[in-house]
Amino acid sequence: MERRLTDQTESSDAMQAPASRSVYIAPSLPAALDALDEGGAAAAPFAGGTWIMRAPIRHEPLKSLYVAIGKIPELRAIKVDADAVEVGAAVTHAALAATLAELAEFDVLTAAASRSANPAIRTMATIGGNLATTAFAAADCVPALLCLDADVEIASRGGPERTSLERFLTMRSTLAPGRLLHRIIVPRRGRRTVHARLPLRQAGDYPTAIVSLAVSLDEAGHVRTARVAVGSVEPVARRWQRLEHALVGHPLNAAKATDAAAELAGEFTGRDSPDVPAWYRVRVLPALVRRAVAALGSGAVGDEHGH
Amino acid sequence: MNMGIDLTVNGDHLTSTSDPVTPLVDVLREEFHLTGAKPVCREGFCGACMVLIDGDPTPSCLVPAALANGCDIRTVEGLAANGGLNPIQAALEACDAVQCGMCFPGMVVSLTHLVSTRPDATREDIRAALTGNICRCTGYERIIEAALLALATA
Repeated sequence: MERRLTDQTESSDAMQAPASRSVYIAPSLPAALDALDEGGAAAAPFAGGTWIMRAPIRHEPLKSLYVAIGKIPELRAIKVDADAVEVGAAVTHAALAATLAELAEFDVLTAAASRSANPAIRTMATIGGNLATTAFAAADCVPALLCLDADVEIASRGGPERTSLERFLTMRSTLAPGRLLHRIIVPRRGRRTVHARLPLRQAGDYPTAIVSLAVSLDEAGHVRTARVAVGSVEPVARRWQRLEHALVGHPLNAAKATDAAAELAGEFTGRDSPDVPAWYRVRVLPALVRRAVAALGSGAVGDEHGH
Repeated sequence: MNMGIDLTVNGDHLTSTSDPVTPLVDVLREEFHLTGAKPVCREGFCGACMVLIDGDPTPSCLVPAALANGCDIRTVEGLAANGGLNPIQAALEACDAVQCGMCFPGMVVSLTHLVSTRPDATREDIRAALTGNICRCTGYERIIEAALLALATA
């Protein structure tokens, strides 16, 4: 259904002050791009809404136009091929976890999508929102996709643009109006992967720190390739390349990986917050590395969770 | 001009004239006077505003009214069929699990969905289903016992 719902009245809530707001429910990707382009800086895409709807709590103004993208079929699709998995930006965490559950090489992403927040939120929150929300440092799927070497495709009236997720994270806050994260492309390389996270409570909480790990082993059982990504510690998730180098060429060994992580953790500068001091986020990294590597060694998923 | 937002709430066809970005919980409470859902955290953490939207438990604080257009919404006020308590409501009463009215409506909504969709749910499944429903005054054990009773007798 294509419909624009508008309101011209003044809100009584000072935190939601715009005199005119509207929501356009886009029926297709071209329609969404047109609306975003025409809306300019006053418009923004609206996917799951779990971040945008909390804007008043953060004392942030709402946009005057939201373009709802959650009903666009191609943005809700997951395509599993032999070489790659393509995930539409409006795929929810729950849908992603359900689709990837039987694909062991994506354990890291399945865990990220299935352990964040709570069940109801996971049916709303989207993968695109997780990647595009600049101010959300604790997004689980960002480090998971970094360690999987994911690319993203950005759509606009001018055509699609593909770039690495790493690069997207550096440009997402300055994306020009009218550009929309369309899909995420994750290569299939038969790696062993794991997502280790530490929330303050067992479940339903943001992780204090996240370590996502993807490795491939040679015939001798030594690490041939390793990608490690750290989330929630700094404002933006990033790879831990020095630890990757320390792992390559050696057998997977939790104790040695922990020692290496402890030696290298000083390169991180933790972010401070009311619930978790900056130093603590860095301090727990070696323990998360140990759990991740140990889980890979045993073949189990090393996600710190519980309900 | 506001086009109006059409909703089916507890079987009644209603039209909202609210701002399209207004959280659904505020439409339900302020416009339709259905005050069972509570706007407590407004962040999707506490579950006090949980309602069923097209059958799925959803924190109504995070749903803009415009995106509820055309949806079937069931609040805690609409869970008792034909004036009788549904299985989880009856079990909660039988187990003396009724707590204060702040978190409890959301608990009832989440568990109504669980009991109706997961007849084989275990204690761990119940705990998982309540991850997004937080009680800060009493606890969960009697609620879990009631859910197990409802599953056993449903």
